[in-house]
Amino acid sequence: MNDRNRHPDNNRPRRGSSGAGSEGPSDGRLVEVHSQLSRDKDEPAEGFSLTPIFIVFLFCGFGFWAGLYLTQNSGNFAPSAFDLNAPKASLAGGPVAFEPDAAKGQTLFLANCAACHQATGLGVPGAFPPLVKSVWVTGSEDRLVKAILAGLAGEIEVNGVKYNGNMPNIGAGLKDAQIAHIATYVRQAWGNVAEPVMDTKVAEVRKAIGNRAQYSPADLLKEHPLEAK
Amino acid sequence: MTQENRSGRPQGRPPEGDSRVTRTEVQLRGPFLLFFISSVIWLLAASVLGVIAALQQGSLAGAAFRDCEILTYGHVAAAQHNLFVYGWGFNAFFALNLWLLSQLGRFELRNGWLATLGGVFWNLALTYGVVQIFAGNQTGFALLEFPREVGPVLAVAFLLAGFWPIVAFARRPTGHTFASQWFVVAASFAFPLTYLLAQLLILWQPASGVVQAIAHSWFVSNLLHLWFGASALAAVYYFLPKVLGRTISGYYLAPVAFWSFVLFAGWTGPAALIGAPVPLWLQSVGVVAGAMLIIPVIITAINFHGTLSSEGGWSRAWNDTTLRFVSFGAVAFTVFGVLNAIFSFRGYNAVTRFTSFAAGQEQLLTYAFATMVLFGSAYFVLPRLTGSLWPSAKLVHVHFWSTALGAVASIVALLVGGWENGKQLADASVSVQQIAKSTTSWNTVLSVSAVLLLVGHIAFALNAFGMILKSSAPASAGRHD
Repeated sequence: MNDRNRHPDNNRPRRGSSGAGSEGPSDGRLVEVHSQLSRDKDEPAEGFSLTPIFIVFLFCGFGFWAGLYLTQNSGNFAPSAFDLNAPKASLAGGPVAFEPDAAKGQTLFLANCAACHQATGLGVPGAFPPLVKSVWVTGSEDRLVKAILAGLAGEIEVNGVKYNGNMPNIGAGLKDAQIAHIATYVRQAWGNVAEPVMDTKVAEVRKAIGNRAQYSPADLLKEHPLEAK
Repeated sequence: MTQENRSGRPQGRPPEGDSRVTRTEVQLRGPFLLFFISSVIWLLAASVLGVIAALQQGSLAGAAFRDCEILTYGHVAAAQHNLFVYGWGFNAFFALNLWLLSQLGRFELRNGWLATLGGVFWNLALTYGVVQIFAGNQTGFALLEFPREVGPVLAVAFLLAGFWPIVAFARRPTGHTFASQWFVVAASFAFPLTYLLAQLLILWQPASGVVQAIAHSWFVSNLLHLWFGASALAAVYYFLPKVLGRTISGYYLAPVAFWSFVLFAGWTGPAALIGAPVPLWLQSVGVVAGAMLIIPVIITAINFHGTLSSEGGWSRAWNDTTLRFVSFGAVAFTVFGVLNAIFSFRGYNAVTRFTSFAAGQEQLLTYAFATMVLFGSAYFVLPRLTGSLWPSAKLVHVHFWSTALGAVASIVALLVGGWENGKQLADASVSVQQIAKSTTSWNTVLSVSAVLLLVGHIAFALNAFGMILKSSAPASAGRHD
C-alpha cells in the first residue's frame, strides 16, 4: 500500500495479523518523514500547489481585518471605555458634555479678573466695584456674560455705591467654556448664590452681540434691567 | 449501521504472534493504567451526575429530586462539570500525553512512581473538592469551584503527573520534532501556569473588581483550548498518519497552525465578557482572537481532512475503531473553530449571551472533539499496554453510536436552543412563560442525550475494564502467547 510499511520497523515489531496491518510507520520513522516534509516544502508536490499562495493572501487579509477591527472598536484603548455604543467623546475618555466647573473658574478668575476685582471679589473701593452680593453678578446671565464679553465703560452703581470704571473686553480672548467657568465661579463664590452658566449660553450671547464695543452700564441696563433684590 | 461488521475488525487489535510490548510501554504501564482507570471512573460519575442535572433542568422528572438538598442543580451541575474536566479530561490526557511523547521520544519512564504519586494526589484532591461542592463550599467561579485549598494540591499533583511529557520531549534521541510533540509540550506548560495565576488572582489574593472576571475568562479559555484542544490536536496529528500509514497533507503548514493556535487561543477569553464593564479594547481583543483562531482551524482542516480524503481514507477511517472516533473529533474541531469565529462577533454575541450557547460550544470542544479523540486513542493504546483484545465488538458499537448521537443531540440542543432562547429574550412581545415552554422541549433532548452518553460510557467502561482484568488476572497468559 505504501512504501513506508515495507520498511523494517526497528522500534516496534511488525504486526502478525492482517488486521493490524493497517498500522502505519514506526514512531521514529513518522517523526523523520514529517520533519523531512517540513524541510522540503519548496519541492512541488502534487495536489496543493495553489494552496500556499492563496493561504498567504487569506491570512494577510485576516491580519488586516484584525487590525482594523481593533482600532475601530477599542475606544482608543482607554481603560475607562467599556461601552461600544457610548458617544465617541466618552469612548475616548474625554468629557461627555460641558460641566461648569467652579474650580477651573477660580483659576481663570485669578488669572484674568482678580487684578481689579481682587481675589476676595470685593473690588477696590472707589475704583473697582465688588462682585460679592452684587445683583450684576447673581442676576441675569445674559447681562453678566455681555459685561464679560464686551466690557463696561461709564458710571455704574453697585450696592448703592457709584464707581466710574473701565472694564476691558476680557472675554473676547477667552473660549466659551472658560467664560462659563468664570461666570459660574463668581456666581457661586463668596456667598453668592445663583445658577451656573453653560458654555452654550456664552456662545449664544457671543453670537448675538457680535464684535461689539464696550457697553455703558446704562445701555446694558436697558437690555436687562436690574432685578429687585 | 451494520456495514462496519463486515470488515470484522472494528476494535483495535492487540499485539499478536511475535509481537511484544516495547520497553517504553512496559515502563509506563503502571502510571498509564492508574490515570486511565481513574479517568473512566470519573467519567462514569460525571455521566450519572449529568443525567441527574439534565433531569432537574428539564421539567419532567425534576420533581424526583426536589426534596433532596444535596442533589440540587447547583451542586450537581458544578460537580459534573468539574469531574468531567478534572477527573476525566485531565487523567485521560495525563495517560495519553505521557504515552504519546514516550513513543515519539523513545523515552523510558524510570521514575514512574512519581507519576503514580501525582495521580494519587490529583484524584484525592479531586475527591475532596467534589465532596466540598456537595457540602455547599464552592466558590462562584466556573471550573474553579473547588475550595481554594484544593488548588495548590492540584498544581503540585500536576507537576508530578503531567510533566513527564516534557521530560520525554527534552530527552528525545533526535533533533527532529513532530507536531504532536509541540502541542503536548504547549499543553503541559500552559495549564499549570494559567491555573496557578488564576488561583492567585481569584481565590488567594483576589484582584479588585472586574480583574477577577477577566482573569477567570482567561483561565477558562486557556484550560479549554490549551489543555483539551492542544492535547487532542496532538493525538489527531499522531493517529491519522500512524493508522492510515501515510503522511499528513500540507504538513509544512503545521508549524503555523501550532503558533497561531497558541498565540490566539489564550486571548479568546474576554470575548465571553462582551457587554460587561471591562475595557472595550479587551473585549475587542477577545473578538479578534476568536476570529483569528480560524487560521489554525483552516490549517488543521487541510492537514486532517486532506489526509483523510486521499486514497479512500474516509472509508478506512470508518472501518477502523480508532480512526472512526479520531476523525469524528477532527470534524468536530473544524465545526467548533468555524462557529467560534462567527459567534465571537458582537452582533451574534448579543443574541447568544446569557443562553446555553456557550455551553454548546464548550461541549463541542471538550466532548465532540477532545473526548471522542480520547476514546479513539484508548482503542489504539490499551490493547498494546495490556496485551489483550477488546472483549466485545458489540460494546464498541454501542459505545460509538450512543456517544456520537448523544454528543450531536446535546450540542444541537444547546446551540440551537440557546440561539432560539436568545432571540426570544430580546423580543419584548414574547412572554417569559413562552420562553420557558420552548426551553423545556430542548431540555428533554438534553435529558435523552445525557442518558445516551451514560449508556455509551458504561459500554466503554465494561469493555475497557474487562480487558484490563483479563490481562492482569492470568498475568502471564495474555502476554506470552
